[in-house]
Amino acid sequence: MRYCFISFMFIFTFMFNNLLFAKEISISWPSIWVAKDSKAKVIRQLVNEFNQANSGKIKVVLEDQTDYDLYAQKLVAQLATGKLPDIFTIGTDLRDIFYRSNKGLDFVPHLDYDSNWKSIFPGNALNSNKKDGKIYMLPYEIFVTPVIYNKKLLKNAGYESFPKSYKEFIKMCKAIKKTGKICSSQMTNKNAWTSMLWYSQILASAGGPDIYNKGLDDPAYLKAAEIMREMYNYTSSDAVGATAAVSAGHFLNERSAVFMNGPWFIKRYKTEGIPGLYDNLVIAPAPMVEGGKGGIGGYIGGRQSSLAAGKQTDKNKEKAIVKFLKWLTKPDNVARLSYDSGAMFIIKTELPDDMDRLFKDMSKQAGDAPYVAPTFLNGINSLSIAREFPQALSALVLDDASPKDFVQMLKDAK
Amino acid sequence: MIIRKEDRIWLFLFIMPSLSLFVVFFIIPILFLFITSFTNWDGIEADFVGLNNYIKLFNNKTFIRSIVNNIYWILSSALIQVPLALIIALLLSHRSRGWKVFRTILFIPQVVSSAAIALLWMALYNSEYGLINFILDSIGLEGYKNHNWLGTISTAQPALLAFWLCYVGYYMIIMLAKTTSISEDYYDAAKIDGALQFHMDWFITAPLIRSTFFTCLILGVIFNLRQFEFVYLMTNGGPANKTGVLVLYIWKELQIQRLGLGNAAGVIMIAFGAILLLLMRRILRSPNYD
Repeated sequence: MRYCFISFMFIFTFMFNNLLFAKEISISWPSIWVAKDSKAKVIRQLVNEFNQANSGKIKVVLEDQTDYDLYAQKLVAQLATGKLPDIFTIGTDLRDIFYRSNKGLDFVPHLDYDSNWKSIFPGNALNSNKKDGKIYMLPYEIFVTPVIYNKKLLKNAGYESFPKSYKEFIKMCKAIKKTGKICSSQMTNKNAWTSMLWYSQILASAGGPDIYNKGLDDPAYLKAAEIMREMYNYTSSDAVGATAAVSAGHFLNERSAVFMNGPWFIKRYKTEGIPGLYDNLVIAPAPMVEGGKGGIGGYIGGRQSSLAAGKQTDKNKEKAIVKFLKWLTKPDNVARLSYDSGAMFIIKTELPDDMDRLFKDMSKQAGDAPYVAPTFLNGINSLSIAREFPQALSALVLDDASPKDFVQMLKDAK
Repeated sequence: MIIRKEDRIWLFLFIMPSLSLFVVFFIIPILFLFITSFTNWDGIEADFVGLNNYIKLFNNKTFIRSIVNNIYWILSSALIQVPLALIIALLLSHRSRGWKVFRTILFIPQVVSSAAIALLWMALYNSEYGLINFILDSIGLEGYKNHNWLGTISTAQPALLAFWLCYVGYYMIIMLAKTTSISEDYYDAAKIDGALQFHMDWFITAPLIRSTFFTCLILGVIFNLRQFEFVYLMTNGGPANKTGVLVLYIWKELQIQRLGLGNAAGVIMIAFGAILLLLMRRILRSPNYD
């Protein structure tokens, strides 16, 4: 009996100790939504609130990753070595290698277990991320990239509204150049983001939203290259080699009249633009290629970042990760993120009436758009072609390559 | 010298720690690099592809251009940067008034991060607000008013090399240190014979620091074979792949998960470097090499 009692006390003490002094689960999240990113403030608030509510049990540790490209490169290396972070965001371009790595946390059992959580992801969003019965990526941030123009600068050049065709657009660029301003901000450094968006718009307009299924021999690639070459005649002298910061800087300082970027940039127009800039900004669909297969008002967009997690051996940690992701995808929290940053999310939320006007216009135009075609970066489905694009573009605009050579450079990169 | 058997055991034991580190962190990675260069490894899967990666590389214009650019970097360092450092070291070795200030000014860039230097020069070269264009415009060269130095094919590579050549402090300090070990007796004797400062520099100092000069040349070649950060930060190999170098090429291949191809480029780079150094050793060998 005495031995029974001692054993019972021992087991009880052990369990009690484990319950009371259970080790806090630490979750690492190398995040790109930090520093100057428009979502940084609310993301930090959400992490802090979660940590407070789960004090002593779970702690999410944000690791600042301020360079998007380096973050993606780090992720590729981690996929190869199998040492993935606990939580991370991942772009569509890395989808294939991520699924093949088999190193991700499969969300299917968790989504099946919690039907409420599953129901917040609309329609086919989850199924499109399913491969071999597994879901490693939870769709989260989405985007569209309309044209944003400065109506004051257009007015100075004699234009009240944004041109509907590229022919008119180039005419307008000539008029803007005469006023001493730059027409559109462009760039060729890194992934040539802004110029890549323009190229995607022209491509979809010339060849239709399904252009990426037609292969690089489609004449739309050539046509888009010709128009891009023409557009570079009316951009800044530092466009070749310019980074995203340089390209955006021209627009934020009213040196350029037209810009193209996603909704996450809305907050930066207010906070980093020169006084009065925001009031002059208007959203418009990109112009049309005459005789093109795209529709009027067609948009470019898609999925920006999905939420993902590394495969876990500790079931408690896996549960903690899922708990945090549920918190992050909670419609109220998504609404907070959207409201503060202007970013768009796949999760349907009730947004306040005083939502930013540019966000509202963007959402409305995207809703009315006949199509939302993928960007060249995501649609072409080849990292090597996407990597070659900035170099081919700079060769094109510096007349080192003809539009035909430009397309050939992309083909050779595969 | 004949080493006794028991001494050999001790010798082996003393070498063991550094030898094992060398094997783990150098020999094994190189073997791994070599083996994977014959595969299409993408970080997840790998199939043997024979010499395909090497054939692809030698048919790739960007890769060939990268090797050529590396040769430009190496030649400009060996023919301009290190000799320039030698001239400055000789001038400073006279210990003229203010020589310490010049020595410090010339060495400061070595302790500043490459990223800061790259950003500074990008700003100086900028076509819209750069100081270089402003100066050229001010002296009447209006053609350069909005010239994009790093974004024009004809000037991007020279602009990269030009700024780099200014950074002579590292080699200068090594050669300057060597001059302090030269006995004053040589100079006193030369002065008695009526030698001028130039004669003393050319016939006494320069020959006596020759071995250090050769060391600097080898260092210059090695550093420029590995050139990466300035090219990555300032042009990222552009415009039109015209300024890329070998390490940047490898980096870009690894970025898009073509690890097999990237490793093949790495093997070529190692072979290129080894051949270059062997050649240099042969060329720089001299009977008086001390």
